[in-house]
Amino acid sequence: MKTKLASAIILATVATASLAGPIEEQIRFRQSAYSFLGWNTGKIKKQVIDHPETFNKDYVAAAANAIAAIANSGLGELYGEGTDQGTGWKTSRLKSEFFQKKEEVTAVANTFNEAANELAKVAATGDINAIKTQFGKLGESCKGCHDLVRIKE
Amino acid sequence: MKTTIRIWDFPTRLFHWLLVVSVAAAYVTATLGGNLMDWHGRIGALILGLLIFRYIWGFIGTTHARFGSFFPTPRRLAAYLKGRWHGIGHNPLGALAVFALLTDLSVLVATGLCSSDDIAFAGPLFSLVDDESISDKLSALHAQAFNLLLALLALHLTAIGYYRWIKKTNLLAPMLTGKKEVPRALATSSYTGGGVSCFFITVMISGAVVWGVWGGVEIVKPVESAPVPVSRPSF
Repeated sequence: MKTKLASAIILATVATASLAGPIEEQIRFRQSAYSFLGWNTGKIKKQVIDHPETFNKDYVAAAANAIAAIANSGLGELYGEGTDQGTGWKTSRLKSEFFQKKEEVTAVANTFNEAANELAKVAATGDINAIKTQFGKLGESCKGCHDLVRIKE
Repeated sequence: MKTTIRIWDFPTRLFHWLLVVSVAAAYVTATLGGNLMDWHGRIGALILGLLIFRYIWGFIGTTHARFGSFFPTPRRLAAYLKGRWHGIGHNPLGALAVFALLTDLSVLVATGLCSSDDIAFAGPLFSLVDDESISDKLSALHAQAFNLLLALLALHLTAIGYYRWIKKTNLLAPMLTGKKEVPRALATSSYTGGGVSCFFITVMISGAVVWGVWGGVEIVKPVESAPVPVSRPSF
């Protein structure tokens, strides 16, 4: 039920991507989103995996909430027509075949969405081992999208 | 008349097979991703140690492991292609393959140390690379060097197969047992060098390099505890 809702939202945002504004702006916003995401995943990695002696439940929960917020923010809107060519903060690494793979993209986006929301839930419990496991699943979901539509260089 | 001689010493064989296992494990962990990326990094550190070991061993190891004894000079290559090379260890073409593989693996390790997967994993020296565009390029080079490795490994296995079934020369057995059958005329003195103390010194140096690269960075940049979050930010 939640998956269907998430799929619907994702498809809708992808469809409304034409409303998102100039190409450069879309690319810049999504690059910012992923950069901010990296800051937060780094925080969790440090406290949950690399140096669990520094684990602070609220700090990690705040980071997980930030990640979920980004995942739920409708990033699909920033993947409008033509955004595979252009520069935001950096040259876009979106593969052109992104636009031919709407179904697969929706599937990996769903996976990311679910993983992020689950991580926020688990982080609220403070169970460091459960957080570590779910964090791993989140990383795999990030990789799923990269492998599908991100140019390797 | 043939005789059996010792050709590949135990450290060299151990190095070879550990490398096979490590490279396979590095590939699997990188492909699966997620929390396995940390293992990818550790295995990369092991490969670093193995390579350092091989480079040192190439100078102080046993006869046929020493680079000098099989380095593919133009003269040796020409002789081999004319059928006039009569050695026992790596033939000049095989030597080219050895150096190509060692070089490519070294590039993989060096770039890996400075790479990031743009998700949650970074190599131990990533924080030392200040410019993001440089670390991006190093990460990209890491991926490209891997593609080259796949090609080289395909060539390596094809060559071993070719020698086995077309030239009727078994190259696998000597790398497992260390012994090879050669014409009596070529079996000169038994190999020298690379004794037990050489082995331990080499292992210690390799270990020190890996430790320095892996853990030493934190001695330079120690880890701080994160600030306790407050609802009103205090700048």
